[in-house]
Amino acid sequence: MEFPAALFPSYFSAGPPREEGGPAPVAGWGEHGQVLEGGPGRRQGRPCRGRGATGERWETADAAPVPVLLPSAGCWFPSPAPQDIVYRSGACRKLRVGKSGATLDFARQLGHFFVDHPEDAFGSLGRLLHKNFYLGNSKLKVTVSRNSTIRMTALMEDIDRLEARRGCPRQHLASRLRWFSHLCRDWLFEVPLGLLADCLHEELMQQWSSLLFDDSFTGGALAWLPPEDGGTPVGCLVHPGGQAMNHLHFQDVVLEELPRARGSPQQFELSGRVRQVAAARVDGQDFVGVRSDYHCGVWRVPGKTGAAPTPLQVIRTDMPASCLTVSPHLPGELSVCTQSGTIYLWSVETGLQQLRHDPQTMFFRDYSPWRWSDFTAHPRVLSCADRTGLQCLDARAPKRCHFDLFKVGEEAGCQQGERVVLPMYLGRAHPSQYLVTTQFSVYVLDERLPLVPVLKWAHMMKAPPLFAHLMPGKHGRSHKVLLGASCTQELLLLQYQVRFLGVSSGGSQSACQMAGTPQKLHSIAGCLQHLPTQLPHRHHLLQQRLTAPAAGLAATLQEDGLHKSMLVFQLSEAGDIFCQRLTHKAAQPPAPPPRDEATTAPGLVPSTAAALRYRRWLRAFSRACREPPQHAWPPSLSQRRLFTHRDLEGPAGPSNLQRQMRQRLRQTMQQGGRIQRWEPLAVQPPPLPQTLEPAGGPDPLSTRLTAAWAGDWEQWWEERTSFSMAQRQRALRERRRRQKRAKGRRSLSASFTSSLTYQSELSELSDVGPQILSPSHPPVLSQEGSSPAGSPPRHSLWTSPAPEEALLSSQSLRCRGIPKERRKTLRDYLSVWAEGPPEPPEPLGSQASQLCIPSSQSQLSSASQPRRKRPRMGF
Amino acid sequence: SSNEHKLNFKKSKEACLSYIQDALLQKQWKRAAEFLTCYVESLEKDYSREHIGPSEIIWRIGTEILWHHSQSNMKEFNCFMEQMKTLGVKRYLRVCLEHVFHLLCNGQIDEAYQNLSLAESWRFGEQTAIQDKEMKLIQAYRGLLDYYSWSKQKNILLENGEDGFSDLAVEQEMHGYFRKAAVNLKEIIKIPGVWDVFVKCYVDLLEFYGDHNEARQVLNEYAYNSKFPANPNAHVYLYQFLKRQGESKKSLISALKILHDIVPSHELMIDFNTMLQKSKKRKKRRLGLEVIFTALDYAGWKENAKAWSCLARQVKQIVISEKHLDWIKQEWNSRKDWWPAFHFSRYLAKRNWQENKSLSYEKALVAGILLGKDCKYFKYVSHQGCKAQLKRFRMLKKFVNRHNLVYLRISG
Repeated sequence: MEFPAALFPSYFSAGPPREEGGPAPVAGWGEHGQVLEGGPGRRQGRPCRGRGATGERWETADAAPVPVLLPSAGCWFPSPAPQDIVYRSGACRKLRVGKSGATLDFARQLGHFFVDHPEDAFGSLGRLLHKNFYLGNSKLKVTVSRNSTIRMTALMEDIDRLEARRGCPRQHLASRLRWFSHLCRDWLFEVPLGLLADCLHEELMQQWSSLLFDDSFTGGALAWLPPEDGGTPVGCLVHPGGQAMNHLHFQDVVLEELPRARGSPQQFELSGRVRQVAAARVDGQDFVGVRSDYHCGVWRVPGKTGAAPTPLQVIRTDMPASCLTVSPHLPGELSVCTQSGTIYLWSVETGLQQLRHDPQTMFFRDYSPWRWSDFTAHPRVLSCADRTGLQCLDARAPKRCHFDLFKVGEEAGCQQGERVVLPMYLGRAHPSQYLVTTQFSVYVLDERLPLVPVLKWAHMMKAPPLFAHLMPGKHGRSHKVLLGASCTQELLLLQYQVRFLGVSSGGSQSACQMAGTPQKLHSIAGCLQHLPTQLPHRHHLLQQRLTAPAAGLAATLQEDGLHKSMLVFQLSEAGDIFCQRLTHKAAQPPAPPPRDEATTAPGLVPSTAAALRYRRWLRAFSRACREPPQHAWPPSLSQRRLFTHRDLEGPAGPSNLQRQMRQRLRQTMQQGGRIQRWEPLAVQPPPLPQTLEPAGGPDPLSTRLTAAWAGDWEQWWEERTSFSMAQRQRALRERRRRQKRAKGRRSLSASFTSSLTYQSELSELSDVGPQILSPSHPPVLSQEGSSPAGSPPRHSLWTSPAPEEALLSSQSLRCRGIPKERRKTLRDYLSVWAEGPPEPPEPLGSQASQLCIPSSQSQLSSASQPRRKRPRMGF
Repeated sequence: SSNEHKLNFKKSKEACLSYIQDALLQKQWKRAAEFLTCYVESLEKDYSREHIGPSEIIWRIGTEILWHHSQSNMKEFNCFMEQMKTLGVKRYLRVCLEHVFHLLCNGQIDEAYQNLSLAESWRFGEQTAIQDKEMKLIQAYRGLLDYYSWSKQKNILLENGEDGFSDLAVEQEMHGYFRKAAVNLKEIIKIPGVWDVFVKCYVDLLEFYGDHNEARQVLNEYAYNSKFPANPNAHVYLYQFLKRQGESKKSLISALKILHDIVPSHELMIDFNTMLQKSKKRKKRRLGLEVIFTALDYAGWKENAKAWSCLARQVKQIVISEKHLDWIKQEWNSRKDWWPAFHFSRYLAKRNWQENKSLSYEKALVAGILLGKDCKYFKYVSHQGCKAQLKRFRMLKKFVNRHNLVYLRISG
């Protein structure tokens, strides 16, 4: 590609940026920037640096984006909102510190932790001390215990009062609270309070900074694999799915008036949340790179439509990866950056090659660990970026050969505080051009003229553009760049072009310039107004879902004879993919017809096809959300989960015993008598003696309760403490005798001889103490005729891992992308049902590997496809 | 309550601005214009101390709307610009410059010139650094317009000269334009920056009046001053000047060598390679091979048939003479792990054959020598060529088969 014969004039100076300022709402309007001559005496349209020739006219075809896929089942949990983390109170504005202008609600979060995890917070000391804490309402009596017991109620009241006065500038700590906290701050907590607070504060700061600006989705998690030229209009969307966004989907999409999913997606379960999906086409094959925090993987998708994607390789990183880009030059080459400042060239054939390791930023000091890397016009030269700028380095000699491509500084006319947000190689449009976006501007750079942007424009977006997509314009047409922001869902369409001047002016290339004005596209949230009216709470849910931050962006140009259109896909963090179509309007005569403004007026209504889509999507959405959150109900478990089918299956007809009993019942009813004892007429299964308490008299608890009821509890206590030695000895002897007998009986009962012989003995035991059944022994009457020991032990139910148990294992929890701090809660919650079961066994090796990335489970793919081999890629 | 009033006013101002912004981004110029007429009110109670104040906002948005509005005309635009110039002293020069740009883009050269002269004579207290830069730009653009007038007069004179008839008045006028243009252009190109247009014009002026030394000095300064950005065009202009001056091959080569060092993918590298190949010195021919290999590393050169034929020719020469095979070996060493996938894949063989037969011929020759006759690219292309009964390809096959041992020596 030729270098432009003349560039736009500009000053050049080095050093840190001098221009002060900040986000300016209109900085991108009304400027030519510079002008340039095409040749002597001949001016080329409106050449300028900021703005140029009239671009192509693209008009949105529909009123709002339309869902491409139905919402997945299962509820989506929105990420924390500012009000969850920040101390909200109007009165403490003065307390605010730092640039963030917000105070973290640290105390509340710590309080939540103490309430949610009391065992972890003060388990052992709590157990030791619980006798000394009095929780009753009445005053403590003057007894011996007075000296060693404190009344907690007053303390609780003080805490409540403090809570009520939250944010009050004149609040004073209650002296009692201060006294208590002074007293026990150092020893009460299981984890040292300072350490715990440090960790929590760190986590809060991290959450808050990611709320302010979350760069983990940089690059976007949506990729479009276009159909081959001239082939059927079926492309493939690669996107994350599932509740934890840890499933990778390859979904075939038919490009019709409204794009339509064809068949079920190819699915891969990964062991982490998918952060970025990058794709490039080399030699007719698509290579798809997928980045999660600690793992990166690469898939190959053959060019033929409908061909199955093949996982190629996976790498694991110690630090979270911040970038993954796929080489557009060589098959199976990628570049990876981690937050430790390391950049690798990753080749599927030869493995990883470390190009640079530098935890410091390149041009000036910036705290951000974010790094990015991409390819350049030379397949062996990679760019590497941090927030301060871009450098290019040669993979063959990364230490020696490098040059600065872009610096946040006076060279590019940056503003103070400006930072690189997303660099992108524009190779498909021009082999030596680069796009760099900052929170204020977009720059196009040419690597042949480093440091001086060939195009600069203030994009005026409300949030920094984290996603960009290039659609090269063929045959001298303008190149289109889509910029997308995450939390505001903004989408901006820019056009720029590098035109060839006519032969008369030397046949050379003109400098790069913007074409036409930028254009705002619809965002997902925009379709809210076109959906049918909802009940308020449903509307709220819907709003929450549709305004979820964007997580990716993809687009494609479609040419159908003279009819050209552009399809723009937008992915949200909730996993929804919405699409909008833009149609190309052929060049208009200089005076545009008056209708140009009506077509994009806000009053447009969606077409019937779109309305149908909305309705279907809404139906699926409400179905997915109707499932109430499980914790709203008391824990309950259907029997079907606890018992096998056979257990629940009753006998074919009433058993002998039942018949007899019924008969007797009927008889007695007829006689008007009553049944005093269900004395067995036939064999009755004897209950298993579990308690071996002395038979003499009621158990101590009953007597104590009786005594307490009668009011002579103290007397009972006296009696109890002065229990005569002789009495005790007698009881002991009695117990030993019974134990002996019981032992003998047990060994015998195991031999299945006859249970009848012991009936007499057992009958006298049967009314002693409550009959205790093990929790796994349901009172099933149907086991007629068989001895108690003969019935199969129900414990076996627990030894084979139930589905809940598999969930409990920390490994599987991790695999499902459940954060560490929530695993414990989940386990506690699940264990409510599972009282008594032994510690769940760790999943076996084969099971574990199934959960790993990428366990190529093309579960839902068409049945005709053979099940592919499971790759051996243990993360 | 005055505070509250301010706050409310600020809020409605912001809301209005966001409506305008929305309309602009959706190309609803009429709607934006209606909102802007309301927004003008914000000028009256301008309490803001923001980076961009309401007056600048109005200037920017108003300009943008007038550019695109279907009913706007040049007269209205000029009128609006004049008003905007009076709105802010600090911005006066910037607005003037933008006004001039718009006039130039619409071909109103005389009006633009008038505006530039007016802006140049503007004085207001002490100038800031930015204003100083803007003033220099204004002068430079005036110089540029003077240059165009000079060039016009020159053409008239040349045409008349052909008739053997000279006009003293026209000549006088032309010299006047020269003086005015030269003064202003000379000033701006002293300051570090990208001044391609200005440098070209200034050098043209100097060359016409025979001041080659000055021209050479200007171009050298523009190309080699380290305060200037590494602009490839600076070296191209110098090279073209040297060529026009009929300089020796040696100085041309040294100029291009520097260009090769900063932009190895520049399109002049083909010229450079041909120049070096013709050289009698071994060292230069060696450099020529390096230059063409390096150029073909770049994605933009992948399908450049001219470059491939340069490489094929030189490689063929070396193979036939059997001298300097080590040159190829050295170049190939750092490329053998990725050139096969980058240039010589089967997919590319198919595509190149379909799209450009002569490109595939050159590439197949290089592939056959570098990778042997079993290489996928060579095999596919020679097979297709023989199938199509093209004599050229049969010769190619013979040649590669004859020199098949070379590839072992290169890669060994």
